[in-house]
Amino acid sequence: MEPLYQYIILFGMLIATAGLAWMLYLIKHSLGDTIDEPGKDMPTQSGHPSPEPAWNRYHVHYYGFALLFLAFDMEMAYMYPWAVVYKELGLVALLDMGVFLAILFLGLIYTWTQSGLKRQ
Amino acid sequence: MSTILTWIAIGLLFAAGVYFVALLEQWSLQGYFDWAAPFNAFLRSFGQEEIRTRRYDTVFYEATPVIFIAVVLLAVAILPFARETVILDLGTAALFINAALVYIMVSLIMAGWSANGVYGMIGGWRAMAQLIAYSMAVVMAITAAVMRAESMAMTPIIQSQASLWNIFYQPVGFLLFYGAVMAIAFLPPFDLPTAEGELAGGAWAEFTGARKTLFRLGRLLLILTLSLAVTIFFLGGWLGPWLPGFVWTFIKTTLVAASFFWVGRYFPRIRHDHLLEWGWKYAVPAALFNILQVGIVLLL
Repeated sequence: MEPLYQYIILFGMLIATAGLAWMLYLIKHSLGDTIDEPGKDMPTQSGHPSPEPAWNRYHVHYYGFALLFLAFDMEMAYMYPWAVVYKELGLVALLDMGVFLAILFLGLIYTWTQSGLKRQ
Repeated sequence: MSTILTWIAIGLLFAAGVYFVALLEQWSLQGYFDWAAPFNAFLRSFGQEEIRTRRYDTVFYEATPVIFIAVVLLAVAILPFARETVILDLGTAALFINAALVYIMVSLIMAGWSANGVYGMIGGWRAMAQLIAYSMAVVMAITAAVMRAESMAMTPIIQSQASLWNIFYQPVGFLLFYGAVMAIAFLPPFDLPTAEGELAGGAWAEFTGARKTLFRLGRLLLILTLSLAVTIFFLGGWLGPWLPGFVWTFIKTTLVAASFFWVGRYFPRIRHDHLLEWGWKYAVPAALFNILQVGIVLLL
């Protein structure tokens, strides 16, 4: 199958999904409208009305992990092409990637020793 | 002609699979099977009034359910049901499935953010924490499978398991992938983004009616798709004697899906900081060990 044709199918699937959603919404719309009642549009907060918007600054307790994740995610981008040719290249490939991974792994261990691997 | 019949059979089996997963989901909550429950749940969810919060983000609110279900369908499209029976035989399938499934997290964050509710927002941030915790396990386990197959396409990955399934070839990778896949689908021990009884539905708390129905349908599809992925990467896909390939695929897929719910019943919900800690302290070294082990065995 031609590559371009494949991506046209993928794009068509996206459109079809959006169409399915739209069809569901149309059916739903034809069944009747929402009755406007006071307090109905409040976000859930255990029965209390929530006066403030939720779009506030939020302390993500896992930013240390997020930084580590970035480093490892970059590494994964190199890992896939490496994995495909691994068997062909043999021991050289293992050593090449081994050095790279060892350095990254040292980084992980360093973060661990600096107690970065816990809720901040 | 026979290919068309095969596709019709696959379509019917897939729909039956979605029904089965819905049945299992209900069983995991109530402990007994109610054969009409999926239909009742659909009607209840779809018939619900469409309520929106006061100040919501229109673009995110409308886009999330569609994104959620669309990425799952894109992931299904590249997974083969049998030899030559795949919607798209993509050369970079192993990478594509990662890229597609990350959007589950994006959709959950958008859902949490868009409704402008506190519980939803926390659910969204937790979805991101969960991604950071499980993502390495998924990616590295797939890498090891790719190393063995010498290709990122799905067909060679399955054919490489003809002599020995990957579950025996790299058991560590299987355990990591299995757990991580449950985290992707936020199934019970990892149901942090939508934690019932803690966040009152979390990221999906403010969604009602048709949009909630799309989310729930998408989740059922997601669970089935991930079971299919486990089958393909670790349980030899269509490989099996006597029966046609796609029947084997579906037998394995349904068993994996059932095992998800069965396992989930025996674990309490994990705290998100524990999940992150364990993910990086134990799962990442284990995944690297798995790659090393597969690498050494391949060279022998």
